[in-house]
Amino acid sequence: MENSPMDKYTAGFGMALAVTSVLNAIILVIKEENDAVMKALKAALGHHWTTHGVIVIVVFFVLGFIFSSMKLETKFDSHRILKYIIWGVIIGGAITAGFFLPNLNLAGAIKY
Amino acid sequence: MFVQGVMMLHVALGVIGIMFAVALFVDVLNVNEGNIERIKKLSLAVAVLIVLAYIIGGYWYVVYYGHDRDIIKAGQWPWAHNYFMEVKEHLFFIMLLLGIYLPIAVYRNVPLMEKEKRCLVLGICMLIVVLGFFMEGAGGIIGKGVTMGLIGR
Repeated sequence: MENSPMDKYTAGFGMALAVTSVLNAIILVIKEENDAVMKALKAALGHHWTTHGVIVIVVFFVLGFIFSSMKLETKFDSHRILKYIIWGVIIGGAITAGFFLPNLNLAGAIKY
Repeated sequence: MFVQGVMMLHVALGVIGIMFAVALFVDVLNVNEGNIERIKKLSLAVAVLIVLAYIIGGYWYVVYYGHDRDIIKAGQWPWAHNYFMEVKEHLFFIMLLLGIYLPIAVYRNVPLMEKEKRCLVLGICMLIVVLGFFMEGAGGIIGKGVTMGLIGR
């Protein structure tokens, strides 16, 4: 069976998901490394995590609608969008997990 | 009791969300005219469950977690907070976005008769399940971190 064209929102929001997954990790590194950014995030909505979450969600929807209007569905197929999503999640996840790795001191666990 | 109830609700919604994602994965593998409606409902249910787990867990984290965090950090397993909670709270955003994207991928591509469109939905389900397992495991370690902190007192 010949594949039908990809839906524009599937392509647009898929790309937004991939980009926002990486952006989420970048925001994390910036706020943890920069006190001024951390204070600003805390001041905005009372807790840095709350503000971080709102930024991520808003960026996802804004990028989703922008990418959906860019006719990505004519350039990409579902496989490629899935590939971008998986890589976005892997890169975002690896940055997040890697950034906190120095905090992972398991000596206490081994003792017990 | 209210605080524990909130926490248990967060965990339960997450677990049910993961189970529904697994059910959706199986349904998409066996897609036919008879289960299209269930596939649509399941994708929506996964999204709702993950969003609710995020809101309820986030409320608990912002309002009540500070006390537990101090116990963990002063105890034998400070890394339960310093690593696992830090990673969990930030990876949850990715899981939230995957959950929101899932019904978009399903509703805009039904009846999912083409292999590559099925693969897209299957891939999203798989990422949700993998991240969900990490969330549950990390949550268990964080809970144990509180226990270890209380034992040392």
